[in-house]
Amino acid sequence: MKNEIRTLALEKVEFGVGDRTILQPLTTTLSGRGVTGLVGQNGSGKSTLLKLLARQQRATSGRIAFGGRAIEEWSDREFARKVAYLPQHTPLAAGLLVRELVAMGRYPWHGALGRFGPADQAAVDEALALTGTDTIADRFVETLSGGERQRAWFAMLVAQQAQLLLLDEPISALDVAHQVAVLRLVRRLSEEHGVGVVIVIHEINMAARFCDQMIALKNGSLIAQGPPAELMTTEQLEAIYEVHMGTLEHPDTHSSMAYVRF
Amino acid sequence: MRRRFTAIFWALRQLAGRAALTVSGPAAASPGPLFSALALMALAGATLAFLLAKPLTHVLNQPAATGYDVVRMVLLYATLPRLVMALVCGAGLGASGAILQQVLRNPLAAPTTLGIDAGARLALALATLFTPSLLGVGRDVVALLGSAISTLLVFALVRRREFSALSLVLAGLVVSLYCGALSAILVLLHNRLLASLFIWGGGSLSQQSWGPSIGLGIRLGTLGVLLVLLVRPLSVMDLGEESVRALGLSPARLRILAVAVAAAMAAFVTSSVGVIGFIGLVAPILARLSGARRFAGQLVWSTIIGALLLLFTDGAVQLFTGATSEFVPTGAVTAVLGSPLLLILLPRLKTVVSPPSFTGSRIAAPVRLPGVLIAASGCALLIAVTLLVGRGPAGQWQLLSLEGWRHVVVWRWPRLSASAAAGALLGVAGTILQRLTGNPMASPEVLGVGAGAILATALSLFVFGTASGLGATMAAMIGGAVVLGLIVALGRRSNFAPERVLLAGIALDALIDAVVGVLSATGDPRAVVLLGWMSGSTAEVGPRDAVQTGLAAVLLVSASLLAARWLAILPLGAPQATALGVPLARARLLLLLLAAALTAAATPVIGPLTFVGLMASHIVGTLGIRRPVSALLGAAVAGAAVMAVADWLARVAAFPIQLPTGLVAAMAGAPFLMVLLNRRSAFS
Repeated sequence: MKNEIRTLALEKVEFGVGDRTILQPLTTTLSGRGVTGLVGQNGSGKSTLLKLLARQQRATSGRIAFGGRAIEEWSDREFARKVAYLPQHTPLAAGLLVRELVAMGRYPWHGALGRFGPADQAAVDEALALTGTDTIADRFVETLSGGERQRAWFAMLVAQQAQLLLLDEPISALDVAHQVAVLRLVRRLSEEHGVGVVIVIHEINMAARFCDQMIALKNGSLIAQGPPAELMTTEQLEAIYEVHMGTLEHPDTHSSMAYVRF
Repeated sequence: MRRRFTAIFWALRQLAGRAALTVSGPAAASPGPLFSALALMALAGATLAFLLAKPLTHVLNQPAATGYDVVRMVLLYATLPRLVMALVCGAGLGASGAILQQVLRNPLAAPTTLGIDAGARLALALATLFTPSLLGVGRDVVALLGSAISTLLVFALVRRREFSALSLVLAGLVVSLYCGALSAILVLLHNRLLASLFIWGGGSLSQQSWGPSIGLGIRLGTLGVLLVLLVRPLSVMDLGEESVRALGLSPARLRILAVAVAAAMAAFVTSSVGVIGFIGLVAPILARLSGARRFAGQLVWSTIIGALLLLFTDGAVQLFTGATSEFVPTGAVTAVLGSPLLLILLPRLKTVVSPPSFTGSRIAAPVRLPGVLIAASGCALLIAVTLLVGRGPAGQWQLLSLEGWRHVVVWRWPRLSASAAAGALLGVAGTILQRLTGNPMASPEVLGVGAGAILATALSLFVFGTASGLGATMAAMIGGAVVLGLIVALGRRSNFAPERVLLAGIALDALIDAVVGVLSATGDPRAVVLLGWMSGSTAEVGPRDAVQTGLAAVLLVSASLLAARWLAILPLGAPQATALGVPLARARLLLLLLAAALTAAATPVIGPLTFVGLMASHIVGTLGIRRPVSALLGAAVAGAAVMAVADWLARVAAFPIQLPTGLVAAMAGAPFLMVLLNRRSAFS
């Protein structure tokens, strides 16, 4: 599983609606390994980029290749076995137990008619255990708190056993404790299970702490890409967010921390 | 939940020759609702010019008071009041529809959804048959009373559910089905006495004086004042229930007030001129499609568009039918003009990102083993009763004896099993459609397959003079297939987005209903034959039909189980389904085709009125069955049970007259659904 091809190559990828361009022509390569954070202001095109990678939207022009093949050429289920996507706003999932929601992550593997076999059951159990949702497995999704619901959806993605997770602001609505819990889980999946993660994230310090790579977008253009240490400088941060910012040293990790200056 | 339609009045833009082609959200350049209104006004103006040119010039050239002048009198006391009546009625229905679609958060809601017209029709039928003296007081009073009672019944049913939008819609459907079925049965039993109901049911605007239009105008105007007070609170409804409460409004009180005003408006119109159903549905949709975003705008434009649409339709009716215009119901013709308009605009409908889930509000406690046992023994008892209990030659009740068994059962089993099989087919079709579209009002009818079948049968009845035998079956099948083809063709561009398919189906339905309505209103005796066929009589079902339907049920219901995984994932919304690798367009197309096949297989047995399809899945839902496989099987069992009881009731209730099973099904199933609706849910 670890040596499989999973590189995402973007070639002049552009997206626009009408005469409004949301994503300027973008050429870059994502290794599909480790955790990559997408940062930038609201409306900078982060979510759009993620949706293009997840095949939720089609690029207006340009080419996205996954594992050397254009993503349009992958069949629906084949692609879903490799790439999982968590939208920013998850639907209500009315009338579903957590266990049933997680089991839906197995669809790419068993399809519409295939048997829900022991391997599927094992994957679901593992996902429940890994995300700590096994204790709430028999509750209705709509009765869960925000943090629990996020974990349940995350468990579905884990059960999907994809090599690449695309997460759209998974921690935006969570408190600090739940944010750290989700991001630790992301790191663990990346380190222990070799899963690649692309994550849209607003909390810049969290991003710097948990990501291996960061990509900054501004007005639909890529303005910086590199390890967190390269982006966590006053100049870069002010360029990204257009507010006065400063950095200081974290007392424990000695890495840079960003703060807003007044 | 927010259903937002930001789209452009496509046809008009073509006329205007504008270039901008893309829609990029609410801010998109759009010619606006003014354009639609102006276009309709031009159309109406042109029709009126033709209509009024002759009498007007006559009256203008003739000095006043030159004795008995027929042309002048017709113009002043029939033609002009009729046109004003059209404007007033159209405005009232347009406003009523806009309020209801806003309050009930459903673009398919219309005054007819709440059973306002069905209640009025039933009241009129009952009064005509049993207390004709009441009609002396005034036909409109009786109709108004009927509407009031049915609306109050709807309110009583949802009282315990905080008047939630979903339960209002469901209760409205149940009440209107029930009243509709009752009056249809009355018409079938006493069709000579109730022939006038056909014309009333088609909405006839003909006038003999200024009185009614002025009276209606005053009544609607009074309600309009109330409406002004409701506009702001209702606009907040776009933000959702929580925000409404947070802004200091009570959602329940707001809904009850708004629905009461809308119902009163529609009831006043209905009591004056009869049923003009389509305006209330299509005017708000047209207003939104032409770019009215905010509720206040939608309300105003819907009122204007409704008035102009009805004026234009009525002008056209008078122009083309000439002297017989008294007998061509304008209400029916509205759909003939409105449906194509809706179909043209449909591609501009903005697709909603995720279908609203409707099951969530009513999760009942899950069914356990004893429940399954009770259900199984109930079914066994049901089969025994429906097979063994009947009425003898003299009408006395009797239990089938052993020696009678051989002679009687051959007559009973075919219709019983055919009915049950048809019920199972429709129950599954309804479940599939409701899960696919996320709309609790979706039933097999909205696919338009049944309506296509009626139209084809009606044509074969009126052209070839027969509505039975192989020819009619062939005609029905071809009609259904053509409609399905149209829906698929219309849905292809949107990847078969459920709301577009639903609206396309409803537009086609209304169109076809209108044609049947016009045929019925001509007073042709064949209309009664058609009505009989539409209400689904199983009396003539033979063993061959029974075996065929049974086989179809087994095959198609099994086939639907294969789609269970899609039915589980699709309610999560298109993005989730795509992310999990579900082939969205193909899955939706296959499910639509499956639902169409299920409906088509049941139609020859119980006709195109498929109440069972609507009810079965709600019965299952309120019982707390939610997983796709159990829901599909449950709906099959519930549908079969409702139809079996209906068939038995149809056989024995009015013995020796055999009632139409399809109608009785609505009457047998509706109260059951009402009881379930009122049950306490596990989470509240």
